Amino acid sequence: MALLEVRHLTLHYRTKRGEVNAVDNVSFTLERGEALGIVGESGCGKTTLALAIMRLLPENAYLEGQIFFKERDLLALPEEEMRRVRWKGISMIFQAAMNSLDPVYRVGEQIVEAMRTHEPTISPEAARERVAELFQLVGMSPDLIDRYPHEMSGGMRQRAVIAMALASNPDVIIADEPTTALDVIVQDRILAQLDEIRKRLDMSVIYISHDVGVIAEVSDRVGVMYAGKLVEIGPTAAIFKSPHHPYTAALMSAFPRLHGEKQELLIVPGEPPNLLSPPPGCRFHPRCPYATELCQKQEPLLEPFESTHLAACWHPLLQKRETLRARAG
Amino acid sequence: MKRYVLKRIVQIIFTMYIFATIVFFIVALKPGDISQVYIENQRIPPEAREALKQRLGLDQPLHIQYGNFLRNLIIGNLGISHSNYPRPVWDIIRERLPRTATLFLAATLIYFAMAYYLGKLIAWRRGGWLDYSATITGVTLWTIYSPWFGLLLIWIFGFKLGWLPLGKFLDPLLWRKYEVGANEVFHQMLLVGGGAVVFLLGVFLVGRRLRLPPRARLAFHLGAVALVLGGLGYLLTNTLYGLLARDILWHMVLPVVTLTLIGFGGYMLLMRDSMLEVVKEDFVLAAKAKGLPDKVVRDKHAARNALLPLVTSFALALAFVVDGGVIIERVFSWPGMGLTLLEAVDQKDLPLAIGTFVFTGLFAVLAHFLVDLLYAYLDPRIRYD
Amino acid sequence: MTEAASLRPLESPWHARLRLWRRSLAANWELFKESKIGLIGLFIIAFFGLLSISHPILMATVWDRQVYDPVHGFDWEVIKAGGQNPAPPSLRHLLGTDPWGRDVFSQLAYSARTEFFLGVMAALITVIIGTFVAAISAYYGGFVDTFFMRTADVMIMFPPIAFLILLSAIFPLSLWSFVLVLGVLYGFGTITIVLKSQALSIQVKPFIEAAKVSGGSSLHVIFSHIIPNLLPLSFLYMMFNVTNAIFSEAVLSFFGVINVNMSWGLMVQMAYEAGYLTGAGITQAWWLFFPASLSITALCAAFYFVGRGLDEIVNPRLRKI
Repeated sequence: MALLEVRHLTLHYRTKRGEVNAVDNVSFTLERGEALGIVGESGCGKTTLALAIMRLLPENAYLEGQIFFKERDLLALPEEEMRRVRWKGISMIFQAAMNSLDPVYRVGEQIVEAMRTHEPTISPEAARERVAELFQLVGMSPDLIDRYPHEMSGGMRQRAVIAMALASNPDVIIADEPTTALDVIVQDRILAQLDEIRKRLDMSVIYISHDVGVIAEVSDRVGVMYAGKLVEIGPTAAIFKSPHHPYTAALMSAFPRLHGEKQELLIVPGEPPNLLSPPPGCRFHPRCPYATELCQKQEPLLEPFESTHLAACWHPLLQKRETLRARAG
Repeated sequence: MKRYVLKRIVQIIFTMYIFATIVFFIVALKPGDISQVYIENQRIPPEAREALKQRLGLDQPLHIQYGNFLRNLIIGNLGISHSNYPRPVWDIIRERLPRTATLFLAATLIYFAMAYYLGKLIAWRRGGWLDYSATITGVTLWTIYSPWFGLLLIWIFGFKLGWLPLGKFLDPLLWRKYEVGANEVFHQMLLVGGGAVVFLLGVFLVGRRLRLPPRARLAFHLGAVALVLGGLGYLLTNTLYGLLARDILWHMVLPVVTLTLIGFGGYMLLMRDSMLEVVKEDFVLAAKAKGLPDKVVRDKHAARNALLPLVTSFALALAFVVDGGVIIERVFSWPGMGLTLLEAVDQKDLPLAIGTFVFTGLFAVLAHFLVDLLYAYLDPRIRYD
Repeated sequence: MTEAASLRPLESPWHARLRLWRRSLAANWELFKESKIGLIGLFIIAFFGLLSISHPILMATVWDRQVYDPVHGFDWEVIKAGGQNPAPPSLRHLLGTDPWGRDVFSQLAYSARTEFFLGVMAALITVIIGTFVAAISAYYGGFVDTFFMRTADVMIMFPPIAFLILLSAIFPLSLWSFVLVLGVLYGFGTITIVLKSQALSIQVKPFIEAAKVSGGSSLHVIFSHIIPNLLPLSFLYMMFNVTNAIFSEAVLSFFGVINVNMSWGLMVQMAYEAGYLTGAGITQAWWLFFPASLSITALCAAFYFVGRGLDEIVNPRLRKI
């Protein structure tokens, strides 16, 4: 069995205005040592998915489905056991990592806190030494341990947050927009480091981003989310080379490649749907150039095209990229 | 931190100066002067009045008077009280200020701790019956008409149930038997109490340094607390001063309870709101994600940050807190600064009224300074500004 | 846009502003309605509003001035019927009479008007000063800013009640001077600090820059751009200041240091001085102090409630999603 397996995860938020279907029937797996990228526009349910895996959702969220981690269903665990899974099993680098440090404590203390919660036997001195090692691992001087968050630059805080995520040797790290707030050069360097650490420590990482470039650079496999649904998932190379879902194709072409030939940008017209009342059938159909009556009525399921490459579309693109470009242009 | 403290000290001196200046000019604006008080009295001849004016320096130009006023303030020469003739004003203030400060400090510490603790709990369990009833109680206590509330409590606990004294600082019937002054006993109480606090703080600091395992540290702290309580208990029960101190403490209970109740509601609501804001912050989510137990997330991260706005608004409301003390002192006949001010005004004893007000203000300024330092200690971001 | 629509005459700017204002008022009312606490506050205020309006009407129509005047009235009927003052509530005197034979309900209703007047006036003075000072210190910065902020530092140190007690030793304190002093004292205090930080955040908005670039004078920018944007928050603080003013007057009246012919605080004070609030006296004539005390608490709470209701509109961060 895979290290982490999400099965038919569906999630509703109950709000005053009605139920918001933030995640709908999402399934995927994550193997040990693998890097999975989840990409999609903001509001498509990526972050909700991450918080669901950690079971950190607000009280108005209702979940169905299973999340197996090391063969235990996380959604069925009692809170106290789930607490032990957090950080020890699955840790997280938050979106806006800058704000995930408590402003009133020294950065080192906060990392030690995470460590000692899960390994109470470790002495404060040993914990501190480990923090120094972690700092070096993420490319920071150990002298910064006793600084407060506000005394650090954005890049430093980002690295500290990564060090914190590594503090209790987790099996899986969920990195939710790990570098969004940083400038491109720092962003690149931190991503490269994170990737290298993952390979060295043989951890699994789930990268979550709206930025196709970031995902492409560091993931082995990519999942594409649209309006709460996983519309396509497969090996990175395959997704980039021959996307099957029209949305994936549009998203990929919107990503200007640094290497290789220059491409035109394909912009998908329209807005992502309101999840209070998602459109029937395929949720992408109002924006899809290939939509037919079938798409409006019946929901396509995730089906394998090649052995590991799945997509949910009635009219999958096989070699239709040229046509798409022509229409959008 | 050192620079911050220095900056604050300079500011505080400036504030005190402005404060005194405003008071001086308001008094100077008074139509006529002190000799006017005797104008009706036919037996005082005009020459005597002129002499009085001269002796009080009222014939001097305003800026000289102003200079004299400031100089006298600094050296603590506040004149002679008319109503307590010939007692100097400074002497009265020296007696009354500690009494006000004690009442104020005791009530403030209690209600702040209660507001912090309960506000934290109700915010964490938002929406339940606890939340609703706490909100209603909070608003009622915060807006209740405090003189009436104080009198009501006196009636219930003092008159009807007879559990607590009806007011005042001590029971004269008890004290008549012994030849000990109230001030002497009170000062001893302050010394012993202060000593106990300093001792406990020292123990706490040493305990942190020793790096004992949690169990041993707890035992160490509990031992120190038991020692202090035992010592205080012995002093209170086995000495004459202890007996008299118990009487004073006994008279303190109801005013402190009243001040606590009227002060506590607003801060509890504030803590709740502040907590609900902090809970939305990313670092609270991160703390949960780290797998910290619920209580640690609540206390160490959420509540610790929610405390900051609470301290800020306390600093801003200090003047009102002092006002609350004035009201309660009057209702309970507690001989502190507030009651003295009211009595002085009642008897047209201007030197005493001015002196009491200026020192009440200075007390507020000093308290504000301490709260500022506390804030700087609590929020590392401020220390380097 | 169709041809016809673009040919429609342009609205005058004032007209447009009024329309926008009406629309935002409607939208804000929707938000305010969501806060139960705010509605309760509004309801209590309306109740006391009606009470204070009813007094002059009753005096002019039903009530005999000789009997029901809140300050000089006296009812011989009570004595003729073998009763004593203070007389308990009856149909003739809904809340009984006080020790001097005056009608308590009439006093209560008459005082409601005073409370509204002093509360709103003091708060208005505070808010006008606070808004103006905040706007100019944010706009000009530098010395002006330092001056007003240091003043605020001093002002927040003035215990207002203690200060007014001292003042009463120097000047006879009328209701007017009370309102003025309290308003000014608060106006230069906390409210300036809060409003100034708001003004600073307004000042960096692009429309301020645009107004400056397009040649608007300083006064124009302050009055037509900064101050209008401060007003919602000022209005919110006004509610809390009304509470403060009513409470302060009640306390000062209780201490007897303010010259007012009738107010709720004075009613409680008179009951206290006459011995109906201490010891066994408290059970003898509850109507002397209880309605007045309750009114003080209720009206203070009402303005505070409305403030909290407004808070959810003015401070968007508190808005529930």
